[in-house]
Amino acid sequence: MEAPDLRVELDSLLLQLLRDLEELEGKRAVLNARVEEVGGWGSLRDGQFHPPFSSFSETQEGLQKFEVVRAGIHTPEEVGPGEAAFLSSALRRRKGPAKTPEPQSSEAPQDPLNWFGILVPHSLRQAQASFRDGLQLAADIASLQNRIDWGRNQLRGLQEKLKKLEPGTA
Amino acid sequence: MAGRGELIAVIGDEDTVTGFLLGGIGELNKNRHPNFLVVEKDTTINEIEDTFRQFLHRDDIGIILINQYIAEMVRHALDAHQHSIPAVLEIPSKEHPYDAAKDSILRRARGMFTAEDLR
Repeated sequence: MEAPDLRVELDSLLLQLLRDLEELEGKRAVLNARVEEVGGWGSLRDGQFHPPFSSFSETQEGLQKFEVVRAGIHTPEEVGPGEAAFLSSALRRRKGPAKTPEPQSSEAPQDPLNWFGILVPHSLRQAQASFRDGLQLAADIASLQNRIDWGRNQLRGLQEKLKKLEPGTA
Repeated sequence: MAGRGELIAVIGDEDTVTGFLLGGIGELNKNRHPNFLVVEKDTTINEIEDTFRQFLHRDDIGIILINQYIAEMVRHALDAHQHSIPAVLEIPSKEHPYDAAKDSILRRARGMFTAEDLR
């Protein structure tokens, strides 16, 4: 490739990188606002939201048991009575005493709001919506970061080629 | 993200992890390992670093979200991660707003250009 063509390609790549960086900055600002100010923390604080267990390690265990019951590996009785409140939404879906595990893998995922009973504060629903929006933004930002990384590598490659073709300008 | 798992992992304080679990990202893999870590007062830097490295090596995780103040504790591990996947996103927390100057990805992007390069 001739040097002028390389320069054109380099300029084009540079412009694309700058556009991507600008878009990244914009999406970052939205994500930070969503998670930190508008919905996430504000709603959680307003709702005085607390996980269903005294410590989050218990919530992690509860999540494990939730997944275990959902997968139909164990019956609720084997999981333990202490987690009855946490598993109530999973238990309600079972028909009668569970003698044989039901294949649960085709079920739709449970809504985490169900961990906290039937009636949950509106602020908690808002918090969930904010965090879900945040997750979509996070995926967009991750894609942008990958594109920027790729562009950066391409830029370096082209700059190296240009230096070889025009060593006097290096 | 094609060819890599679709899970999002979270390393954060209780509020951060709770919020994203509410959003529906909580999962256990076949070894019953969760895709999140709650960092508390007594969580050691080694634990954070070990979990971060485990997430990096899992083939079912595509994105790692980490509070920026926690990322600062294991900055060397983040800076050493040069692959695109899993993507690492630093996010603010309740008490620590986001600072673009500290973000590993953006620092790398700023270092892309020098006056020589743009001549």
